[in-house]
Amino acid sequence: MYLHVGQLLQNQSDIGMILQTLFSFSFIIYLFYAQRIQAMTMLRAVEGTLRKVKGIRDKGRNTSIEAVKEAAEDDYDPTPEVERFLEHFFIPPTSLDPAGIVGKMGQLLNVRENIFEAEVRAMAPKASDSEVNNLENLLEASLALNVYYKVIRHFYLLGKRTMNIYVIMQIHMILPMIVREIEAYSRALQAFRDGTPIGDSVGPLVAARLMHGHEWSDVAKDMVVAEVPYNGRTLVVTKAKGPGGSVGKPGDAIENILNGRKGRKKVDAVIMVDAAGKLEGEPTGGIAEGIGAAIGGIGVEKHKIEEAVKKHDIPMYAIAIKQDITHVVAPMVEELYTACDTAVEIVKRMVDQRTKEGDTILVAGIGNTVGVAQ
Amino acid sequence: MISRMTDAGPQAPMMSLSWVNLAVVVVLGIFSLLFLWLGFQSFGGENPDQGNLYIVVGTAGLAAIGYMFFRTKAISSQKPPVEKAEVVTILECPSCDLKRVRDFQRGDYVYKSDESCTRCEGTMTITGIHRKAEPKKKR
Ligand SMILES: [Zn+2]
Repeated sequence: MYLHVGQLLQNQSDIGMILQTLFSFSFIIYLFYAQRIQAMTMLRAVEGTLRKVKGIRDKGRNTSIEAVKEAAEDDYDPTPEVERFLEHFFIPPTSLDPAGIVGKMGQLLNVRENIFEAEVRAMAPKASDSEVNNLENLLEASLALNVYYKVIRHFYLLGKRTMNIYVIMQIHMILPMIVREIEAYSRALQAFRDGTPIGDSVGPLVAARLMHGHEWSDVAKDMVVAEVPYNGRTLVVTKAKGPGGSVGKPGDAIENILNGRKGRKKVDAVIMVDAAGKLEGEPTGGIAEGIGAAIGGIGVEKHKIEEAVKKHDIPMYAIAIKQDITHVVAPMVEELYTACDTAVEIVKRMVDQRTKEGDTILVAGIGNTVGVAQ
Repeated sequence: MISRMTDAGPQAPMMSLSWVNLAVVVVLGIFSLLFLWLGFQSFGGENPDQGNLYIVVGTAGLAAIGYMFFRTKAISSQKPPVEKAEVVTILECPSCDLKRVRDFQRGDYVYKSDESCTRCEGTMTITGIHRKAEPKKKR
């Protein structure tokens, strides 16, 4: 059969013509439709991610429902409650008139926290405090996954409808970063369901290493403090109250500690230990020292800390334990675990070098204290 | 829930796309083979230049098929997005310094102490919880 076709196309110049026409034609097509082809390729990549994200989102939703079911009374189906929770939103205050925005933001965040806690308590009335905290974190991770999914879907559907390369490009450009964040959140589900320490727990773990075995007391909402003698100095160590998942209110805690020392020796230095994002190429668990308030988040707590430290004119040192975005909310990897012991030594060395005997040093372990008691 | 309605959106075209892909692969494959065969035929004949052209077109077709296979495989053979992390718990006994590592159990947390020591009368304290070191990925 092929032989016949070959014979059919025996006339060489004809075939040359046909091929040349074909090439020219495809060239012209490419000239006009290159962008559309590119848009379709990108749309396909977004589509693949969207399906993956949907799987993770559904897993988060199911994990949350199961976890609430376990903690709640028998034959209570929390599905509608959880689904309502996953659509919860937060409207940040306007920044048109930025004066006092931190206070407004802080107040809104407090309301949000209280509402979340009340909702979880209503769903699982018999759960202990740390179980409630873990459930709250689990639901928040699911909520974040839901938002990611909905945003990617929005751009996908909008891009498909308009076939506008700039709409599709917006989501395609940031897709690799978003996927990493989503994978991180999906690992958080396991951590918060089981209550294992996460990468962000390095700060509280360092603080716990320092304060364990000493008497502690509450200093602010979800925050504990302990006085630890060390080498002729007094370390005032604070962290979020564990072992339930909570970041506490380190701003309030530091403010209360600094203001509450009337009549006693004032604090001479503040050392903050926190997880910090690493750049690609840096080792996980690497430790760096610096100056300033080592704390992430929206900035309300950071503002409080900076205000308090400025008011008392105290030097503020920072210790950062480097980690990837994929480690922050995932169960703590071994590199970070061993880095905590190194960080404890660094805190001690810093205290030895930068303060003198008789000084009082405030050490704050910043981060989510899930799976770490005191 | 609103999403239930729109969720089907991204999945429906996926199916049709893969069918289109298959048809394109088959057609492209037949034509590529034909062109390659024609090319080898012309090499023996009086016009080897024409043969070169045929072979180029045929190879390009096969390369396109290879690329498509590579792409679909990359999507379909993706490992599950998140495998469960294996977590271990480290326990230490303050009175006899026994150190023990076991799998993490729900309810464990650092500085929990309610497990009795296997060697002496004391109670063991959990001093650490972390993920098992993953085997290094080799490329
Ligand atoms: Zn023992």
